Amino acid sequence: MKNLKNYLIISAFSLALVSCSKSDDIPIANNITLHFDNTFKNTTIVLGDAASSSATTNTSAKGQVHHFSELKYVISNIRLIKADGSEFPYNVNNLDQGATVINHSKSQTLDYVLSNIPAGEYKQIKFGLGVKPELNTLDQTKFPKFYTEAGANDTEMMWEWGTGYRFTKLEGFYDTDNKEMSIHTGSTVEGTEGAYTQGVDAYRDITLDLTTNAVVGRKAPKITIKADFDKLLSGKTNTITLSTGTGMGDNATPNIHTAAQMVKFVDNLGGNGSSDLSGMFSISSVEN
Amino acid sequence: MKRLFAILPIFLLLLSCSRDDVIEPIPYENPEIPLNIPAGFPSLNSSVNGNKPTKFGVQLGEKLFQEKMFSANNTISCASCHQPSNAFSDNHAQALGIYDRVGLRNTPPVQNMAFMKFYNWDGNILQLEKQPLVPIITHEEMDSSILEVINKISAVNDYKNLFKKAFGDENITPERIYRSIAQYEYTLISANSKYDKVKRNEGAIFTESEARGYQVFKIKCENCHSTELFTDQSFRNVGFPVNPSTEEAGRARITGIPADYMRFRVPSLRNVEHTAPYGSFGQFPTLEAVLDYFNNGVLDADNLDPILKENGNRIPLTEQEKQDVISFMKTLSDNTFVGKQWL
Repeated sequence: MKNLKNYLIISAFSLALVSCSKSDDIPIANNITLHFDNTFKNTTIVLGDAASSSATTNTSAKGQVHHFSELKYVISNIRLIKADGSEFPYNVNNLDQGATVINHSKSQTLDYVLSNIPAGEYKQIKFGLGVKPELNTLDQTKFPKFYTEAGANDTEMMWEWGTGYRFTKLEGFYDTDNKEMSIHTGSTVEGTEGAYTQGVDAYRDITLDLTTNAVVGRKAPKITIKADFDKLLSGKTNTITLSTGTGMGDNATPNIHTAAQMVKFVDNLGGNGSSDLSGMFSISSVEN
Repeated sequence: MKRLFAILPIFLLLLSCSRDDVIEPIPYENPEIPLNIPAGFPSLNSSVNGNKPTKFGVQLGEKLFQEKMFSANNTISCASCHQPSNAFSDNHAQALGIYDRVGLRNTPPVQNMAFMKFYNWDGNILQLEKQPLVPIITHEEMDSSILEVINKISAVNDYKNLFKKAFGDENITPERIYRSIAQYEYTLISANSKYDKVKRNEGAIFTESEARGYQVFKIKCENCHSTELFTDQSFRNVGFPVNPSTEEAGRARITGIPADYMRFRVPSLRNVEHTAPYGSFGQFPTLEAVLDYFNNGVLDADNLDPILKENGNRIPLTEQEKQDVISFMKTLSDNTFVGKQWL
C-alpha cells in the first residue's frame, strides 16, 4: 500500500509537469483545414444552367466550349506525411469521420476540417478521389452519416446498381448549342483487391507535395487544394472529345459510355495510378 | 489486493467462455433444406455453400420476399415484379416500381438461381446475397433504405420470432435479411416440365411438332441456349433493337470492355412461355415476334455475335420451324413451379 501511495504522488507530479509544458509549449494537436478550389485553369468555377450568362465557361483542347451546372466529388482515405516521412492516417477506414462529399454549390462543403492532427510539420498529403474498394459498399449500418450525406436528394452520390458510391458527378452543357453533358464515375469491381473477377476500379489515390510544410501546433494550417476541371477533357492521360448519341463511343451522357469510356475521365481527374498520381489536383497554398 | 488477483483469472476465464458463445450456433430445430439438384444442371454457385438454405431461413426469406414494407410507401415487394405465376417475372416490358416509376430493363425471372454464375441482364451481381439491397435503394424500384426497412419490420412480432428461429436471436440485421432472401431464392428450382419428364423417361412423350421443334432447336438455338438450364450463361450481342435510354450499355457498363457493348446474358428458356415480353427491355411481345425478328435479320454491330455474323445476321426459320420451335419451348413450362401456391 505504501507503494501505491508513492505511485500516486509520482503520477500527480508528472501530470503537473505535463500541464506545465502544455501552457508553455505548443499544443499536442490541432486542426488542418483542407480548402477545395474547383477551377477551370486558374478561374474558380461559377455554376450555371444552359442559358446562364454568369457560368464560367472553358474550352477544351479539342475546341469544345463547356460549363457545369453541378459539380461533386468524394474525398476519402486522407493521409498526412510528416517531414520525417512518417504517415498519419486520418480515419481512413471510417467514412463517417474521414470522408466527405465536395459539392460546389454548397460552400460549406468546400472546407473539410481535419481535427486532432498531431503537432508537427507535414510535407505531403495523400487522399483518395472516390472510395477505396474495401469500403465501397452502401453500408448504412456501418457509416450512417456518410450514407445519408451521399444519398441526400440534392447530392445523389450513390450508384444503386453498383451498390457503391458515385465518386464524381458532373452535370453541364457543351458546344455552342449547349448539349447536355453528364459524367458520373464509380467502381464496378467484384472480388477482392488484386483478384478482381470483373469490372473497373474508379478509385484513384492522389499524392500532392505541399508547397511549404504545414506546421500544426499553436496554429491550425489551411491547405488550399486546387481541382482544375480543365483536365476533365484535356488531361495528362487523355484528350477527350465529347459526343452525344447512343453509340459505343458516345460519352457525354452517363453510362451510355461504357465503363471503358468512363475510365478515360477517371484517369484525367484522378490520375492513371502509375505515371500520374495527381490528376486534376495541385496545392495552391499552405497557410500556417 | 491478493484476493483481487485471485479473482482476476476466474473473471478472465469467464470472459473467454462468453466469447465462444458469440458464434451463433445453428439451432438444432432449424434443419438445413437439401437442394434437389436436377440431373444435368450446372454446378452450384459457390455462394450457396456459404449460405445453405435452412427451414426457417427459407421461411423468413419467403415472407420478406412478399414484404411491401421494403418500399418507401409500403406498396412494392420483391414479389410485385417477381410474380410466381410468371416464373417470378412479370408481364411488363420494363419493371414498374414505386409510384409506377419505370425501370431500365425487363424483370428477370427468379428461378434456378442457385445454378447461375451471373445475375441480372448485365451480370453485375455474382452473389445472390448482394442483390436484395439494389431494389431497396433504387429510386425506380422501392426507393427506401435498409435501415428504414429494418425499422419497419422490427415492429412486427412475427419477424422477431422468425429471425430468432432462423438465426438464433431476434436481431434483425441487413446481412440476415440478404441471406434469408437468397436462401429462399436458392430453393426456387424449376426442373419438372414436360421436357424433363420426357428426358427422365417418366412416360411423357413429345408431340410430333414438339419433336420436330426439338430437332430445329438443337441446330439453330442450342449454341447459346445450352445445358439443362437452356443458357450457356455467356453475354452476347444478338442485334436486338437497342434500349433508347442513355443508361444502357449492356455488359460494358460493368466491365469496361468495348466488346461487351450491348451484350446481355443469354436468358434461360425454362418457363419461357410465362415470361413474356422478351428482350432486355421487353422489345418483343411474343415468342413469335422474337423468332420473326431472328428470321428477318438483326441489327448489325461490330461485336454482333459471330454465329449470327456467319449466317448473314439472321437465323433463318420457316413458318413451320417457328411453330415447331415454339411448341418445343412450351415443353419447358413447369406447371408445378408456376402454378404452385407460394405463401
